[in-house]
Amino acid sequence: MFEVRDERLVKKALKGDKKAWLTLIDRYEKQIFHYAIRMTGNTHDAADLMQDIFLSVFRSLDNFRGDGAFKAWLFRIAHFRCMEFYRRKRPEQGLDDTPEQPCDKPCPEMHLHGSQQSSAVVTAMQALPLAQKAVVELKFFGQFTFEDIALQLGISPNTAKSRLYSALARLKLELE
Amino acid sequence: MTENDKHTLLAAWLEDSLTQAQRKAFEQLCTEDADFALRVEMAGRCFSATESFTAPAPPAWNKSATFTDNASPRWYQWQGLPVASMAMSVLALVMVITGFRVEVSDSRLSLGFSERLDAQEVAALVEDRVDAYKQANQAVFRDYADALASQQRQSSAELTEYLLASSRKERREDFAELVKFINQQRSDDQQFYARQLHNLQQDVSALEKHQSMNPLISGGDPLADE
Repeated sequence: MFEVRDERLVKKALKGDKKAWLTLIDRYEKQIFHYAIRMTGNTHDAADLMQDIFLSVFRSLDNFRGDGAFKAWLFRIAHFRCMEFYRRKRPEQGLDDTPEQPCDKPCPEMHLHGSQQSSAVVTAMQALPLAQKAVVELKFFGQFTFEDIALQLGISPNTAKSRLYSALARLKLELE
Repeated sequence: MTENDKHTLLAAWLEDSLTQAQRKAFEQLCTEDADFALRVEMAGRCFSATESFTAPAPPAWNKSATFTDNASPRWYQWQGLPVASMAMSVLALVMVITGFRVEVSDSRLSLGFSERLDAQEVAALVEDRVDAYKQANQAVFRDYADALASQQRQSSAELTEYLLASSRKERREDFAELVKFINQQRSDDQQFYARQLHNLQQDVSALEKHQSMNPLISGGDPLADE
């Protein structure tokens, strides 16, 4: 069935069309929730983060110029909200710091739903510094190019490549 | 091979954009560099994990709460309107203070902050004012001259009338006095002649009387002694 483009839904939502906004949420809710699970490691924080992200997106909706994909813009805001979430949770921890407690253990539902391998990878991701975890998330789960990742995180493409390179070594260690 | 080259190769492999040369170098690295190979293997595992990743469905949450009616305000509710209004006021003030002028003359639009006129405009302005002043002066002078002439005519008429009236009266008085004088002279003359005649009559009477009393003398001339 013909699907209304994101940009059109954004314009409608900006004009006060609640239905268009709810359609946008339905379209990206699952992706954002899964992103939040992978970034936070548990469903409770993920649910909070997801609501926070959508609130923030709605407030910033009139800043969306439509010159890029809505999805990329959405994930950029999601990343900022995620960083904010981590700052609130662990104010003393920097973006490049390795978490002191390797992970917030993924909730049991993760193991019920996901395969063993994916659960292991997600669990190992929780041991990564936020800066590296964001690159892994966007590259593998978000399927973004390095250019897009660099744009979303406000870094250079080479930095994004370097972070991923380091993250892979760390993940390997965590999985062994 | 530098670390940066390795990052680039791995990134190109992940995005499936390896050139022929890069592919060769990549394969060589995978066989010779165990560390690099581990990373490639881990990347593969991550790809597999994304494919098999399933997570619980999002919980039910109040999606409507994220929607607040922030529909675009009407043009008259535009937030920038007060700012624009204030900016226009400030601009107007600046234009007034600096003497900003907009002039359209002879199909020419001039904008400027100076109140100074060019020489041609000044000359035209001065000429206009001098003309107006001259005309006003001429009108005043004309009125003044008219008034003066009228006053002079009136004065002349009054003077003439006065002169005529006064000379007539004087002459009348002079004639009256002349007549009076002549009459007086005549009266004096009459009295004198009357007195002379009286004296003569007396003398004559006296002689007659004398002659009558002295006839000797009557042969002579009674008046010869006198």
